Amino acid sequence: MPLLECRGLTRSFGGLVAVDSVNMAIEAGEIRAVIGPNGAGKSTLFNIITGVLPPSDGETFFAGERITGFPVYRVVQKGIARTFQLTHLFPDLTARENVRIAAQAQHADRWRPMAGSHVFAASRRIADETLEQMRLSGFAGIKAGLLSHGDQRLLEIAMAIAQKPRLLMLDEPTQGLSIEETDRAVQILRDMLAKGDLTVILVEHDMEVVFKLADKITVLHRGRVIADGLPAEVKANDEVQSAYLGGLE
Amino acid sequence: MRERLVIALIVALLCIIPLLVPTFTLTLIIEALIFGLFAMSLDLMVGYTRLHSFGHAAAYGLGAYSTALILLHFNLPLPIGIVIGVAISIIIAVPIAWICTKSTGVSFAMLTLAFAQLGYAMIFRFKDFTGGSDGIGGIPRPAGPFGLDFFQSKSGYFYLVVFCLVGSYLLCRAIVTSPFGAVLAGIRENETKTRALGYNTRAYKMSVVIMAYGFGSLAGALYTPFAGFVAPELFFWLVSGRVLIMVIIGGAGTLIGPILGGIFFMLLEQQLSEVTQLWPLIFGSTFIAFVMLAPDGIWGLLTKHFRSKRPVPGDGEDGGASRAAS
Repeated sequence: MPLLECRGLTRSFGGLVAVDSVNMAIEAGEIRAVIGPNGAGKSTLFNIITGVLPPSDGETFFAGERITGFPVYRVVQKGIARTFQLTHLFPDLTARENVRIAAQAQHADRWRPMAGSHVFAASRRIADETLEQMRLSGFAGIKAGLLSHGDQRLLEIAMAIAQKPRLLMLDEPTQGLSIEETDRAVQILRDMLAKGDLTVILVEHDMEVVFKLADKITVLHRGRVIADGLPAEVKANDEVQSAYLGGLE
Repeated sequence: MRERLVIALIVALLCIIPLLVPTFTLTLIIEALIFGLFAMSLDLMVGYTRLHSFGHAAAYGLGAYSTALILLHFNLPLPIGIVIGVAISIIIAVPIAWICTKSTGVSFAMLTLAFAQLGYAMIFRFKDFTGGSDGIGGIPRPAGPFGLDFFQSKSGYFYLVVFCLVGSYLLCRAIVTSPFGAVLAGIRENETKTRALGYNTRAYKMSVVIMAYGFGSLAGALYTPFAGFVAPELFFWLVSGRVLIMVIIGGAGTLIGPILGGIFFMLLEQQLSEVTQLWPLIFGSTFIAFVMLAPDGIWGLLTKHFRSKRPVPGDGEDGGASRAAS
């Protein structure tokens, strides 16, 4: 049984069909890249899976459970964490507190309106470990809004990992990064993925990043899946060449 | 530890006030303390969750009227009357919070305002019950339970108010520093992100609105037996506007700032409105001055000097080192 399965997901905005009967199955432990030109429907697909947008048609199953129509927070509680294409952080809180709040979400104590500091211990430990993993420990005490753009992108990934998800969805993690920053981010992501048994869906524009990280690639074009398979197969696919990769190779 | 000492010192200072000042001044101070409590309750929403309420008078009015009616119609001791009044207000606050949190931003503010005005209108609609524009007078301060009657005297009532204010402050402080409070900070900073982390933000917002109504209605409930009467003006939007301004002038998101703002402005208003009719003009210009020159409010001005020397909360061992390096 795949960890995540999309069956005929469709979403239209007025006359525009942004996502058109997308079928996709992602096995546990897989790193899947979803690529496609601007407007191909990648972000819309992300938003449907995470419950931000209801699909016009189709269903999503996570670990065998139908999660279509769940509100965002319930989808996340099931074990799906995501990052945003445009950085979403708590700018006025420290980097550590950003990650700690993310870790706290999986904690039974998250609702407690009265608590001594011992309640924070578990989430604080996860936060420190995660910051270490993303090589952000040096910035733990600094307000997130003051970090560089590159560190903010990494901090957002750290927040997603601190939720201990079963499925991690990264929406263009290297968006807006310089070449050096991208290399650093890819290196950190590779180390992280090599260690864990995380399942990842990655939306990415940078083909180099995609071929470095992904096990399998799904290509979207005008809302439809036009290719699906191993990186080498996708690279060789004629339709993909003309739709997307053509300009690059 | 040092903070506890400061709080204990402030409480001790408050406790000797009735021995020093004449009765009339004590009346003004009690009223100011009640308004300080009221402003602090709004700070839970405005300062900690960035939920701007333009109708917090609803909490004050609800607490005041429900306590008034309980004390008038049932032969209950004063503290129990206040507790029941607050409980009724909290129950009424649940559907209000449920509806208001369906929206965000300006529409949230307008909905809170609508509920306050609804309360105002209902006072006139159910005249037989609420006294309409005449309000309700002659509210008693019955003694008990356990033969307690210290609050029947003015200085005794002062101690009751101080007790409620300090107790509420400690409760609110515990709330904003708890895991629940951390989620409120997340909602304040970025609600979309907080939801994407798996928090049901609507439920958290509902809870904080209900809490703010609870503490706000306690202020109203304390006002009723002290003044001896209630009037529909307690629900009026001017009250909502005034308390919001006091939160901002005092320093939103600090709890202690809005208390100071509330106390400070009630005392200032009482003094200045005796000598000049231009009081609202002074109040308004002070507000504008604070927004432009000192957006952190009175408490921000008072603590600015210390802040720069003290580490920021959440600052770890490595915070200083990495800052020096960067």
